[in-house]
Amino acid sequence: MTSAADLTDPAALQAAFRVQGYVAGDALATALRLVPALQKPLLLEGPAGVGKTEAAKTLALALGTRLIRLQCYEGLDAQAALYEWNYARQLLYLRSAEISGGRVDDDELYGERFLMARPLLQAIQQDVAPVLLIDEIDRADDAFEAFLLELLAEWQITVPELGTITARTRPHTILTSNRSRELSDALRRRCLYHWVEYPTARQELEIVQARLPGIDAALARQVTDAVHALRALPLGKPPGVAETLDWAAALLALHRDHLDAASIEATLGAVLKLREDQVLAAPTLRGVAGRAEAG
Amino acid sequence: MTPHPPETLLPAELSAKITAFVIRLRVRHGFLVGPGEAGDALRAAGVVDVLSKRQLRDALRAVLIACPEQARIFDHEFNTFFRAEGSPAPPELPPLLPETEAPGAEQDTETTPKKQQEGEGQAPAPAAPQPGEQPELTPVQAQPQSESKDDPDDSGGDVQTIQTRLSPNAGAGGEVRAEEGELRELLRAATALIRAVELGRSRRLRPLVRGPKLDARRTLRAAARTAGDPALLRWLGRQRRSPRFLLVLDGSRSMGRDAALLLRFAQALSLRTRRVEVYAFSTGLRRLTPYLRQALPGQALTLPDLGEAWGGGTRIGENLLHLTRHERERVNRDTLVLILSDGLDTGEPEVLERALRDLKARAGRVVWLSPLAALPGYQPVQRAIRAALPHIDALLPAGDIDDLHRLGRRIGQRN
Repeated sequence: MTSAADLTDPAALQAAFRVQGYVAGDALATALRLVPALQKPLLLEGPAGVGKTEAAKTLALALGTRLIRLQCYEGLDAQAALYEWNYARQLLYLRSAEISGGRVDDDELYGERFLMARPLLQAIQQDVAPVLLIDEIDRADDAFEAFLLELLAEWQITVPELGTITARTRPHTILTSNRSRELSDALRRRCLYHWVEYPTARQELEIVQARLPGIDAALARQVTDAVHALRALPLGKPPGVAETLDWAAALLALHRDHLDAASIEATLGAVLKLREDQVLAAPTLRGVAGRAEAG
Repeated sequence: MTPHPPETLLPAELSAKITAFVIRLRVRHGFLVGPGEAGDALRAAGVVDVLSKRQLRDALRAVLIACPEQARIFDHEFNTFFRAEGSPAPPELPPLLPETEAPGAEQDTETTPKKQQEGEGQAPAPAAPQPGEQPELTPVQAQPQSESKDDPDDSGGDVQTIQTRLSPNAGAGGEVRAEEGELRELLRAATALIRAVELGRSRRLRPLVRGPKLDARRTLRAAARTAGDPALLRWLGRQRRSPRFLLVLDGSRSMGRDAALLLRFAQALSLRTRRVEVYAFSTGLRRLTPYLRQALPGQALTLPDLGEAWGGGTRIGENLLHLTRHERERVNRDTLVLILSDGLDTGEPEVLERALRDLKARAGRVVWLSPLAALPGYQPVQRAIRAALPHIDALLPAGDIDDLHRLGRRIGQRN
């Protein structure tokens, strides 16, 4: 496990990521180094399955700190992201106080014991800076994005019943987006930015070998070459790195050592998830199988 | 607080150069970077090894760009600005807002079907630029920065030389002017359209006087004032979902003045809601959303050179397919897709069918607006329209502002 101080050294950061099975390019490593240096969040955008979320998880592992994740969805509001009062316990407390003839004041009713901290509040209450992952921010709506601006700018949260809570340490914040919605300029300006592209064939081969150490080198190369051939097609759902790893793992599980036609047929569902894509890719995959059997 | 990398004090000359670079990105290319970003850029440069050109570029890029479309411009400008002494400058990128004229603004409107299926859009051979003439940029897809380039730091940079050529399909240059009075009418039409689209209720719960769900927080607040007895109930409910709009505008020559009108309608819609994405296509495709957002209401609408996305031939199917493949995340069940085209296509109908099938599967509704459909006695006989009809929810006329006014009502009737 490494320490946060390793962020000063790009090679050490990349090595720490590699230990966790994540091959980070130079530009991503530089962007990650700037997160604590500039005390700014990093917005990672890119196609699905290229490793945006995984980058945040790996950063937490590499720094030896806690990962706090907020998964965004349509309808997410401040209560679900920030804090919630335990209403059932509060009502029971009120009723029991009424029965016993006691008085209840606001400070008691809205005290820490009835407060349920959600990810954002948890993130600013840590003594050691955690990695805060705000995943798929584009799925949340404009109202939540506006609410988030205050947090990202001031790192403090106002709970009406408790007052203002200021962050003990600033979390290393990573936001991810698949661009299903255009994020506001205000949010973008508060963040560093990095576009995560599909890896090159060489990088993807490294990723497969890092994640699946037992895989045969020739099979790993065939899988990555095949995935790159598939991405060149106009597919409805191009395979991401996650699909590459799933496909390689499926072949390993079936004890296959090369990509022949039978292996492809048996494992195609791991890499192409739409029926029409499987039909469209059939000629390409026949070529892949032919080359693998010839080689 | 986690220790972070110590910042190196930058040489004054480099600090000045980075600051000038930030100003250039803002002034020439419209990047939203001000003194705050300039300060961040200097701090970022202090964190990395400034003798490594690649590290400096990666650090400044992370600070100064905000979307992948800006990455190509950034890389080009960086390589120009920080090139080695004596090395030749790469070709200049055009500034953000030169002017492109709507097709037909200076030419006769072509509303009669031209050579309907063959020959239209065949680009003439590219003419060589005249001496001293600024060549036009070929439109390219946004190329986000790649980490795969093995560019040695001192090689003078991985200069991404911009391919230049004279586009055979580009507009004639000039201005699209939106009269203020006309804009008011278009804004009214846009408002009517937004109100007419019924998509059901959102998932976000909001306080309502009467609703299906008890608001425990506010009820408890009220109960505290009645000795813990929840006598005053508070309610939550779901509001109407706001639609998203995806406008795909045919900017080919055959659209003539209709393209200018529909472009201004797209601008009006962008002024009424942020949930709008606008693309233009001719033989190529280009995203217009940022330009329409920057345009000031009541002033002339100016666009950069859209190259193959404006004023040339028509490739509806290929461009829609590209859109569904590369921007599929922008289309969901809240999206109303408006295809604004006369349907005079030179591409293969099968490609168009596949693209529309994809769009229909993902979008809330797909509506085709055709200026030709406003003509008396119009029959949908064009190959593209015939191929599209099974996969769209409606084919509606869009010949003038009155048609656009009625658009909301017509779509509302199909809810």
